[in-house]
Amino acid sequence: MSETLRNRLFLAIALLLAALYLFPLYWMVVTSLKTGSAMFATPPSFWPSEPQWQTYAYVWESRAVGRYLWNSLVIALGAVVLVTALGTGCAYVLARYRNVWIDIGLFLILMLQVLPASLMVTPIFVGFSQFGLLATPRLAVILAIAAKAMPFFVVLVRSTFMSVPAELEEAGLVDGNSRVGAFLFIVLPLARNGILVSAILIFMQAFGEFVYSKSMIQAAELQPASVGLNSFMGPNTNEWNNIMAFAAMYVGPILALFVLLQRRIVSGLTSGALK
Amino acid sequence: MKTMFSSLRDGRGFDVGLVAFPMGFLFLLSGLPLLYNVVMSVQEVDMFSLGSFARPFVGLKNYATLFSQPETWPILKNTAIFVVASIAGQFLIGFGLALFFWNEFPGASWLRGLFLVSWVMPGLVVGAIWNWILSGDFGVLNYVLRSVGIISGNIFWRSDPNFALWAVIIANIWLGISFNMILLSVGLSSIPKDLYEAAELDGAGAWARFRTITLPMMRATIGAVVSLGLIFTLQQFDLFAAITSGGPNNASNVAQYWAWDLSFRQYDFAQGATISVIMIVFVMIASVIYVRSTRQEVRG
Amino acid sequence: MTAQIELSQVNKHYGAYHALKDINLTIEKGSFVALVGPSGCGKSTLLRSLAGLEKITAGRLTIAGAEMTAVPPRKRDIAMVFQSYALYPHMTVEENLIYPLRMRGVSKTNAKAKAQEVAGFTGLSGLLTRYPRQLSGGQRQRVAMGRAVIRSPKAFLFDEPLSNLDAALRVSMRKEIRALHDRLGATSVYVTHDQIEAMTMADHVVVMRDGVIEQQGAPLTLYDRPENRFVAGFIGSPAMNFIAARAVDGASIALDLPGQPVIAVDRKGAAPLAPGQAVTAGLRPEHLRIVDGESGSDHQAFTLPVRLIESTGSLTYLSLGDTGDISLVEHGREHLRPGDRLTLTIDPGLVHLFDPETGRRV
Repeated sequence: MSETLRNRLFLAIALLLAALYLFPLYWMVVTSLKTGSAMFATPPSFWPSEPQWQTYAYVWESRAVGRYLWNSLVIALGAVVLVTALGTGCAYVLARYRNVWIDIGLFLILMLQVLPASLMVTPIFVGFSQFGLLATPRLAVILAIAAKAMPFFVVLVRSTFMSVPAELEEAGLVDGNSRVGAFLFIVLPLARNGILVSAILIFMQAFGEFVYSKSMIQAAELQPASVGLNSFMGPNTNEWNNIMAFAAMYVGPILALFVLLQRRIVSGLTSGALK
Repeated sequence: MKTMFSSLRDGRGFDVGLVAFPMGFLFLLSGLPLLYNVVMSVQEVDMFSLGSFARPFVGLKNYATLFSQPETWPILKNTAIFVVASIAGQFLIGFGLALFFWNEFPGASWLRGLFLVSWVMPGLVVGAIWNWILSGDFGVLNYVLRSVGIISGNIFWRSDPNFALWAVIIANIWLGISFNMILLSVGLSSIPKDLYEAAELDGAGAWARFRTITLPMMRATIGAVVSLGLIFTLQQFDLFAAITSGGPNNASNVAQYWAWDLSFRQYDFAQGATISVIMIVFVMIASVIYVRSTRQEVRG
Repeated sequence: MTAQIELSQVNKHYGAYHALKDINLTIEKGSFVALVGPSGCGKSTLLRSLAGLEKITAGRLTIAGAEMTAVPPRKRDIAMVFQSYALYPHMTVEENLIYPLRMRGVSKTNAKAKAQEVAGFTGLSGLLTRYPRQLSGGQRQRVAMGRAVIRSPKAFLFDEPLSNLDAALRVSMRKEIRALHDRLGATSVYVTHDQIEAMTMADHVVVMRDGVIEQQGAPLTLYDRPENRFVAGFIGSPAMNFIAARAVDGASIALDLPGQPVIAVDRKGAAPLAPGQAVTAGLRPEHLRIVDGESGSDHQAFTLPVRLIESTGSLTYLSLGDTGDISLVEHGREHLRPGDRLTLTIDPGLVHLFDPETGRRV
């Protein structure tokens, strides 16, 4: 078998596998464009013959998708800012030194990384309500998400900092920087990309967060899109085209971000989990 | 004061300052809740005592109550099935895909990266899509299975107690395949190519090479991937909320969903905290295994 | 501007590990001092302590008479060239060069003018807008040097700056660094594991081992009069031959070789040997001379079989003795085959004697 033939065969199989794997996404879009009757047709059609684009406008209006997305955005941005501000310095110190204290710190961080949100939400909810934090529910959710996401961020960013040679920082010190200056002007610029990718990953997680928001935000006008989508899906719903349109609008910005930054996101993810 | 300031600019104080704030934050928002969880699990908590810290101490009564309830053991069994089946499915399919994409061909790494899209999608969206795909009368999965002749009548994935848990497992496997595949790919690509060349010269066939080189060299990676799978699977909540809500009649309920359900649907915070404590212990054991299996890497 | 550096009783511990032990060292103003020794000897730790990158555990460090023991690096006014050059990858060559000046509040215009000047004499004029990754190894080296010299610091520190270059470039950069030093007259401390670099570049060589200064002095003093067996073996290439021996009388020794040949030694005013005293004789490979024939009559000569012959064209390296562990260097070519027997002699003044127990010169 010639080299090109082999390559084409592999490529064809790979495309088939990818199409199979991504079928659920395709099915979401196709369903969202079907009419109410086409949706329940047997056999189902795999191509929207008369795409119902007005479904999107209808759902956007009737389900206040804009408001939900705005709340998701506020929560995600709040969590990212908090995590980045606090986690970057922590990751730097954990990357820079090698001793027993650092190992203990790392171990604690890894432990906190694995605590399931659905198990932590009970004490956090009760504690927050006792301290009156539930009066500002979005802030409460931002704090809870930040605590959940920060360990992951620290692990990712730490591996970025480890790739910045210590000699560069030392050169900065000898050239006249304080520790603060060398960190801000030498180390941070060199770790910028890794920090950015990690922040984007945290953003995506926070944008889709559900447990904390569902438990702590009662007022519909403050809920994020995940809770909005959940309340849209009653047990016996038959509005699947509308639900899929909601889901598509929700996942759209994330998919765009992912396609744009795919290479970096993949490398960022893999470096953090195994290194 | 002056020495403190100069230590912050030039010395250890800088490092301590950078670590102190995040560690303090994590202590307040993860450490304390963790402890509070344990405290609540030995208290009597109801709607009236929710706002006060001084609740009646009841010892291990909550634990005793928990294990005397008829649904407890079935739910723990569901949790075990969910975990084992999810990990097995994710790992086997993920490993297969990783081995396939390990063959170098144009576009391999780009196509492989495309699979990760499932990882960045909100869990609720994934749940919604699978809810619709798994729908009984009009679900596309039933249609496909019927067309190829695997089943004759529709399966009511979400409402049939025999299938409800598997509905969530299918969605969770789909969600986890990409992560398994990517991590295993990284492990595969770190095996030196000349080992295979040497083995081939030594007369090892494809299967022998897989068994004697790939698997042993991948041991650390496989350990890490499986324990990460365990951790992620025990964190899975959104799919239950979006597909079955634990029903029908707890047939698809698992511990991590049940804990939330007890607290926030039945307002039994003490029981919610109790099951949380038990599960957190499990998760921590898994994470210790994970840390140990990646120990060399963690130490850099 | 350039300054004298003084260390007294300097110690450095890393936990239980004692990296520097009671270091006393004066680095004269304007001199070029090389710190040399095998890896792990503490030479880099000592250099980093001078820079302030390591905190010394005990002892005192002064630069130009000012106490510097606890002063952070940026206030020491010292420049350092790192092994990896440590060029800031996100800055152009010019930005790298002016960085230390900008940190000291020099205006951008003045700093740029100064960068032009430095680029002129370091051969970087056409490269100011490039990034470090676009430069060759030698060019990077020059940028690192330029960044060090641009602010006329009290002293220059070099941490094995040539170890990442290929052999030819290393030789030429060696001369360039020395020329730069002569031109600026600044105090320089240079760490290397390569004794040839130390011998050729420095005015003053400090040989270290296990955190201790074994000997310091002018390069040729170290070569001519090593204080102990370690320094004798470390300085010089190929390394000195050590042969167990016993004193016959006050001025001659019997080598522990087949036939127990006796050779004369010149004590040069040192105490005469006690007859029967055990010593280690140190004979440099380049000091052994081949004499014609098996002239057993010559009292000085001894005979050894040839094991291995390696020729570079200009030099011939011979491995002699039954185990081949005695080496000899000859200029020109030798028409020899393994198994031939050679008669050797050595000038009595070139025989070094060491105590077999302590390794100290006797």
